[in-house]
Amino acid sequence: MSKNHYLARFQKGWQIFILNPLGKTGIILLIVFMLMAASSFFIPLLDPMYDPMTGIDPLIKESTGPSFHHWLGTDNVGRDLFAQLMEGAKVAFIVGLASAFISIVLGTTIGMISGYAGGITDRILMRFADIIMIMPSLVVLLILASLFGQFNIWIIVFIIAIMRWPAVSRVIRSQALSLKSRPFIEASKVAGASDIRIIFRHIMPNVLPLAFLYMTFRVTSAILVEAALSFLGFGDPSQVSWGMMLQWVWKSGHMFQAPYWLIPPGICISLLTLSFYLLGRAMDEVLDPRLRKEEERK
Amino acid sequence: MIEDNTQPAPIIELSGVTKEYRTKATFFSKGYTNVMAMDNISLTLQRGEIFGLVGQSGSGKTTLGRLLLKLESPTKGIMKFNGKPINDLKGKDLKTYRSKVQMIFQDPYQSLNPHLSIAETILEPLIVNKIGDIHSRKEKVIETLDTVSLAPGKEYYDRFPHQLSGGQRQRVAIARAIVLDPEFIVADEPTSMLDATIAIQLFKLLQQIRKKYNMTFLFITHNLAAAQFLCDRIAVIHDGVIVETGPTDRVIQQPEHPYTKKLIQAQPKFNF
Amino acid sequence: MTLLQVENLSVGYKTKKGILHAVNDISFTLEQGRSLGFVGESGCGKTTIGMTLMGLLPENAVITQGAIHFNGSNLLHFKDEQWRNFRGKGISMVFQAAMNALNPVIRVDEQIMEAIEVHSPDIPKTEIYKQVKNLFNMVQISEDRLRDYPHQYSGGMKQRAIIAMALACNPKLIIADEPTTALDVIVQDQILQEIKKIKKALNTSVIFISHDIAVVADVCEDICVMYGGQIVEKGKREEVFKSPRHPYTKTLLASYLSLDSDKNIKVLEIQKPPDLITLTGGCRFADSCKHKSKNCENHTPGWVDLSPTHQAFCFEDILNKDNND
Repeated sequence: MSKNHYLARFQKGWQIFILNPLGKTGIILLIVFMLMAASSFFIPLLDPMYDPMTGIDPLIKESTGPSFHHWLGTDNVGRDLFAQLMEGAKVAFIVGLASAFISIVLGTTIGMISGYAGGITDRILMRFADIIMIMPSLVVLLILASLFGQFNIWIIVFIIAIMRWPAVSRVIRSQALSLKSRPFIEASKVAGASDIRIIFRHIMPNVLPLAFLYMTFRVTSAILVEAALSFLGFGDPSQVSWGMMLQWVWKSGHMFQAPYWLIPPGICISLLTLSFYLLGRAMDEVLDPRLRKEEERK
Repeated sequence: MIEDNTQPAPIIELSGVTKEYRTKATFFSKGYTNVMAMDNISLTLQRGEIFGLVGQSGSGKTTLGRLLLKLESPTKGIMKFNGKPINDLKGKDLKTYRSKVQMIFQDPYQSLNPHLSIAETILEPLIVNKIGDIHSRKEKVIETLDTVSLAPGKEYYDRFPHQLSGGQRQRVAIARAIVLDPEFIVADEPTSMLDATIAIQLFKLLQQIRKKYNMTFLFITHNLAAAQFLCDRIAVIHDGVIVETGPTDRVIQQPEHPYTKKLIQAQPKFNF
Repeated sequence: MTLLQVENLSVGYKTKKGILHAVNDISFTLEQGRSLGFVGESGCGKTTIGMTLMGLLPENAVITQGAIHFNGSNLLHFKDEQWRNFRGKGISMVFQAAMNALNPVIRVDEQIMEAIEVHSPDIPKTEIYKQVKNLFNMVQISEDRLRDYPHQYSGGMKQRAIIAMALACNPKLIIADEPTTALDVIVQDQILQEIKKIKKALNTSVIFISHDIAVVADVCEDICVMYGGQIVEKGKREEVFKSPRHPYTKTLLASYLSLDSDKNIKVLEIQKPPDLITLTGGCRFADSCKHKSKNCENHTPGWVDLSPTHQAFCFEDILNKDNND
């Protein structure tokens, strides 16, 4: 039965969400990008020359503008830019969602433990979080990259996640702190429930909506960091991404000659991060305690 | 009180229990000050009685309940349950103790987890104490719901707190407290958030439960009239000190301590 | 002299499920210098009445019918500007949450001075300060506490300061909404005596809203008992509390525990409060009433005169029947 309850809550939330112009725009943008990412799986199947990384049009030796065979044109070695743009959408989703997910899991767990346990545990975890939080993630990534050479995309995802959990854990911690003294937690303690049970059975469902909200904002920042890193030449060279496309435009000296190459990835980065940001804002409204109270009162 | 030839066995004994809170040092004042929440309190509760602890906000009455449930520890003094000290209970012993001692909280809007159904809420004590199997637990929950007059229990089983009224929520909280058949229940202002017409029904319910299971209650309240209605004996607490203890009727009809007199004097009355 | 006359007032709140009829067809009058108490339980609409009189209803509220005549003008025709001039001067209000009604970073005397200055900017400061001192004397806060910040006050003192602020512009009517609910019994008793004394000294009218019948009985001369957005019984306090006639009033009185309560009292169980969104035609108390008949479910009850000043919103046969047991 509890499934129905969550379903009902979700439906109520969804209604507020979809009525919100921000949420609606965000969702539409997101769907467009999801379709783009999905298409990246099929484009190379049409013809090997449409493989975003290795497919080279044998007839083309230099960067060309849009044509019938290459809707967005090609890069300087004859690779199809449209295929690269679609592949970039897929990579952006992987980087954004994966690193956001890891940082949310880390941040939520650490935040809940820190807030619930309190005392010395809390202090150690939060000081640790502070140290990571004040480090500028892009600079750290650049330093690491210059030390160890270029990273594989998954290592980049992981490092972004590691750099980004502390802010989440701070918010979740303060939430856990206020939940801890709520009578229903004490009631459960009085019933004999263990700390683990209290954290995962009672505190987690109450902080999860907030964690999801933060996840959307994390996605935005992860995509931006990856793009910046790639543009600066520290990305994964074996992987097409929007940042990488920009890096190639710049490196091959087409910055001011090939707007068909420069502009699409730039716009895509802006719009995708915008769509996640809009989702977050709309979700914020769903989670707004005033609105939620009105729901509960009924 | 229990009429018996032999001396009734005390269930709770407190001697010299003191609780101090240390205020944190602030930016402007170094060091700390001690705030005495409870000062040298000695009390004995007899099995099967409803004992009232009457005091105004800040008197330390809630602290006493929290100490007895081991949600906090006393600074000094000895607390005994069935003759055995409970000051230093840990781990398994603490869990056993907590299965025998339960609490009903003040605010029924705060004491139920909004994400758990009524059944899940009442099941929790059974699950964490590994009592019975799925079927016997379910039966027990429905039986307990019937006991607290949320009948038929099946109808309330799958509901959620926000679908219930304040009075019904407090009945769920009572069901959760009695589902383990505890020996002793601390009820901390269980009706202060509820309307008078609802409160009196809950008082009646507590009386029925006491009769049916011979449970002992510590009823914490700011309302002298409510204590008089429900309790066999009462203690009046003021600034962390118990100023007067005795059978309810005696304390109210012949108060000895000036504070008790003042309290009785201030009760709203219908004289115009 | 009639100070306040409310006629057939109905107030609703827009919700997703429809309009919630919080206050329904309420009429009462209040003479200068008298005190009127509204008593009822949560959700009965008593707070909405206070908010309507102050023009402080939330945005989703709608006044569907009625008129409020105060000292010759209809408050419901007031524009925002008029309300601002009127509040504090015509009617002022004492809220329940005294702790939150004072600004924590401004000294108490300055807050009260401000309340006076807003309405009469021409009076010199020294004159205003004299008035503040007088107010403090009246609510019995010693003058050396004038310069304190609110957090240095105890709960009772804060409530006194709030009362002083409400009195600042000599209002003709003070509305007190649960002013003592958060206070200890002993402090509550002191504040209630204070309110009675001030009322007598200044000849101010008082509307007192509370769930606590003993508190209302202590302060008010006239009583309105409310249930489900309606007044169900009104009259002089002796009439309403010594010889209650409406079944709900009887239940409310029986449920109230005092030191003389009988331990074995039998109390009617109040069923679910009435659904104020989808209203049925019948009596709203019918579900909990032991005299419920078909008539109660299908017909709206009417006002039955029990004495020139005492009325109940019920059916005559039920009032007579109920009186005999």
